Amino acid sequence: MPDLISYLQFVLAPQMLNGLALGVSVILVALGLTIIFGLLDVINMSHGEFYAVGAFGALALSALGFNYWVLIALVPILMIPIGVLTERFLIRRVYDGGDRHVSTLLLTFGLGMIAEDLLKIVFGPNTHRPENPLPGATEVLGVFIPTYRLFLIAIGAVVIVAVALVVYRTRLGAMVRAAAFDRNMAASLGVRVGWVYSGAFAFGVALAGLAGVLLAPIYSVFPTMGHDFILMAFTVVIVGGMGSIWGAVIAGVLLTQIQAISSLVISPVWADPIVFGVMVLVLMFRPQGIFGRIGHA
Amino acid sequence: MHDRLDISMRANHVFFWILVIVALVFAAFASFSGDVFYLRLATEALILGGLALSIDILLGFTGLLSLGQALYFGIGAYVSALVLREEPSFWLAMGAAGVSVLLAGIAGGLIANRVRGVYFALITFGMAQVVAKVVYNSRELGASDGLIGIPVIEIPLGLITLSAGDPLGFFLLTLVIIALLYSVSAYLLGTPFGRIIIALKANEKRVPYLGYSTWAARMAAYVLAAVIAGLAGALYPMLRGFVSPELLFFATSGDALIMVIVGGAGTLAGAIWGAVILTMLKSVIGSWTEHHLIVIGLIFMSAILFMPKGIVGMLKPFVERNLLRNSARQPKPEPERTAL
Amino acid sequence: MKHNLLTTTTIAMLLASSAYAQEAIKIGVLTPLSGTYAGIGQQVRWGIDQSVEEINAAGGIAGRQIELVYEDSEANPAVAVTKAEKLFTVDNVDFLTGTVNSGATLAVGQVADRADKLIATTVSFSDAITGSGCSPNVFRVNARAGQQSEALAAWLKQEKPGAEVYYLGPDYEMGRSTVAAFKERAESVGATSTGEVFAPLDSKDYSQYFGQLRAARPDVLYTSVAGNDTVRLFTQMNDFGVSEGLTILGASGTVTAQNINAIGAAAEGFITGVGYSVLIDSPENKAFTEAFRERNGADPDLYGADSYGLLFAYKAAVEAAGATDTDSVRAALEGLSWETPQGTKTIRAGDHQAMQPMYVVEVKNGQFTIVRSIAGEDAIGPDTCDKF
Repeated sequence: MPDLISYLQFVLAPQMLNGLALGVSVILVALGLTIIFGLLDVINMSHGEFYAVGAFGALALSALGFNYWVLIALVPILMIPIGVLTERFLIRRVYDGGDRHVSTLLLTFGLGMIAEDLLKIVFGPNTHRPENPLPGATEVLGVFIPTYRLFLIAIGAVVIVAVALVVYRTRLGAMVRAAAFDRNMAASLGVRVGWVYSGAFAFGVALAGLAGVLLAPIYSVFPTMGHDFILMAFTVVIVGGMGSIWGAVIAGVLLTQIQAISSLVISPVWADPIVFGVMVLVLMFRPQGIFGRIGHA
Repeated sequence: MHDRLDISMRANHVFFWILVIVALVFAAFASFSGDVFYLRLATEALILGGLALSIDILLGFTGLLSLGQALYFGIGAYVSALVLREEPSFWLAMGAAGVSVLLAGIAGGLIANRVRGVYFALITFGMAQVVAKVVYNSRELGASDGLIGIPVIEIPLGLITLSAGDPLGFFLLTLVIIALLYSVSAYLLGTPFGRIIIALKANEKRVPYLGYSTWAARMAAYVLAAVIAGLAGALYPMLRGFVSPELLFFATSGDALIMVIVGGAGTLAGAIWGAVILTMLKSVIGSWTEHHLIVIGLIFMSAILFMPKGIVGMLKPFVERNLLRNSARQPKPEPERTAL
Repeated sequence: MKHNLLTTTTIAMLLASSAYAQEAIKIGVLTPLSGTYAGIGQQVRWGIDQSVEEINAAGGIAGRQIELVYEDSEANPAVAVTKAEKLFTVDNVDFLTGTVNSGATLAVGQVADRADKLIATTVSFSDAITGSGCSPNVFRVNARAGQQSEALAAWLKQEKPGAEVYYLGPDYEMGRSTVAAFKERAESVGATSTGEVFAPLDSKDYSQYFGQLRAARPDVLYTSVAGNDTVRLFTQMNDFGVSEGLTILGASGTVTAQNINAIGAAAEGFITGVGYSVLIDSPENKAFTEAFRERNGADPDLYGADSYGLLFAYKAAVEAAGATDTDSVRAALEGLSWETPQGTKTIRAGDHQAMQPMYVVEVKNGQFTIVRSIAGEDAIGPDTCDKF
């Protein structure tokens, strides 16, 4: 019996808590992805690179002497114009020509290639890491957990709730959801659909940048970092239901817990196939994901 | 009978024949000047053209975007490599690769065809990633180092025997095989069953009312594409003497997708033109700057923004007009159907 | 008339042969300038460029200047073989080097075999290259995995007798075989193994393995992760307090110039067996590192140093052979000894592996400090190549 308790306390519980920190990270990356898909019907293949731009932005600005806590607010704000410009001058041009899913997916794929190479030109090929703003560990239930991870879980929860409130509870969110549901009707009701689209895209990009700032101290910063979370984030978005914020949260927690707990028992290499298997199963029985789409539920 | 689809397909053939003629002129010139490298690079371009062709069957004709077609290309390459290491027989390798990708294509199709649109794109992406990781970690398959030591094989072709190490001979053989793959695809898409596949892209909801199963049509297209990618992949180890997990990575699928878009989706011949153009461009740009990602990315984005139909798609209307005029001049012209 | 013609021909031949003597020797450098290993490719490029400048300024190889032809391998073997073929058949290079990942070196080695040219790697450390997958046309002037383990095991025997070691590697072939090789060496010098775990390559989070690691209560951890993975592993171990009281050993690629700055304080105390350190106390190394810093604004690491040394061996071989054809140069390289900033290196004829003094280095204040050195003969290990 004491064996079981100590197993729960020293092996399983920390494993699940670490899984939760990873889950929050994945959700932070997936949030922007799911919003852009749910509202604009655009699969943003360059999302990972926007995440990298956010992380490098934080790195460059902190080298200029900016405080890390300021950057958490500053970097997402700086990402907004990047998002608006991308939507206005690139995404919008292929919006109505042919299959929107395919053309925007391809366009953002090309954009991602260019962005990755540009990061390499500016910052060089090597790895960087900003100083951890909260070094040290905190004792939770007799187990030491790095303070920054606890902070990440907390701020992640705050960000998720804030985003959900904005999308589901504000007038702005209602306008956006209306535009996503029926573009023409929303336009005839006086919603400026063009700006709503730019705004929604920029919001998604800003969230990617925020994820970059928050995750940089743990996962380090390098030009190809955009590929890191993207398969996992896509999986979370699919399983959760494209465009559903709560779906992404539940899927993110669920999938990372499956990964964390299964890696106690089997070789961690199989964690990816297992997570992918869950995605396939969900698609087989509920192709729209656990939750439906924004504006359609 | 020359309806629109027919004219369109015949226009594709014109572009394919131009490619064959260019290839033959190039081959004559290259072998005359004693070149080895460019002949073998062109062979690689044609092999990648097979992969691009398979993507175009899905994207251009059924409207399904596959982001993981390298999966079947890689399976074909690995099976071919494993066979050749044991038994250096061209036909055995091609046969084994063909059967393996047929089975893999059916298995993958059962999964991927549960879903549509972007879900299809993402699930094909995921399947390829997972298999690539498994190959990367499998000691039996050479893991991250891949498999080297695939012998230079002798290929018996009835009257003559050809060596895979002979740049000109293997180039011509590859050209014939790609032409066969192209012809089979074009033929199948021209049959009534193939037209259901095309109709799926035009209006998916209406097809079931015509009494056809959309699932079977989609599945058939998917398996056809898998087999074409796999057979093209089977040629790769014969040319390069090795295989590595990178052949299954997204970079391979992504490159092939760029080839299709630059060449022109929905034109079949455009995919192969795209492969030739991009392979040559990459070779030149790669020697010129290490920032080739930016250059290729810019070319790709410009193609999407300013030339969404691709090179062949842009030139095609001129050819079609000529074909229409010619068929109108024939003694007993069928009334042109404008149902589409 | 006849006499005249003969004279003209003789003169023409003389001119041709002197023109031949003046003609540059072309060396292909096929290295990752983009992609995951671009940081290593940069060191290779710096090292080789510097050696060529020095050799050319001193009169070249047998009076002929060296001309370098760069190609980007993108760290992808499929790209590397195509580029290698271009270098051999279009650019007609006499010699090729620069490949980084072992898969690319093995695949390019096969291209060299078929083209009857020579290549040398200055980076790949997979034992297979000069072992089970050896080739008469492939040379390696850097230390292979076995030499590194040998050096590290000698240190372990002396400093931590009877150590309890835990192993953490990336879950792919190279990571596993590196761990297996060191484990075998460590056990032979009396260490006990307390467990092992393999994490997927590109793991984001290593914290999930810390439970097992702690439970095993080792006093030494050996790891073969590399690149960005090391940054994550070390900083996460530091954050979780796992590294306290633990001596961390690793492969030579675990902590390098590419990632040491990103790891920061978490790299302190890391120990590895390697063929180079900036702090090697010899006049040759002082001159080399100063010139390197001056030229590139950064310190050389093992990749830069091994790449720098290579062409001096090639120069010595060509000058000894008096020719640049494959057979003569191969024969001259076999058994060749030459001076490098790392000390004297000797190419073993049996497997084309360079023998060199090995160093055990510890990271102190962000510098690889030498804590022990092992003579080349003691670290080389048996010749297992049976292909030539």
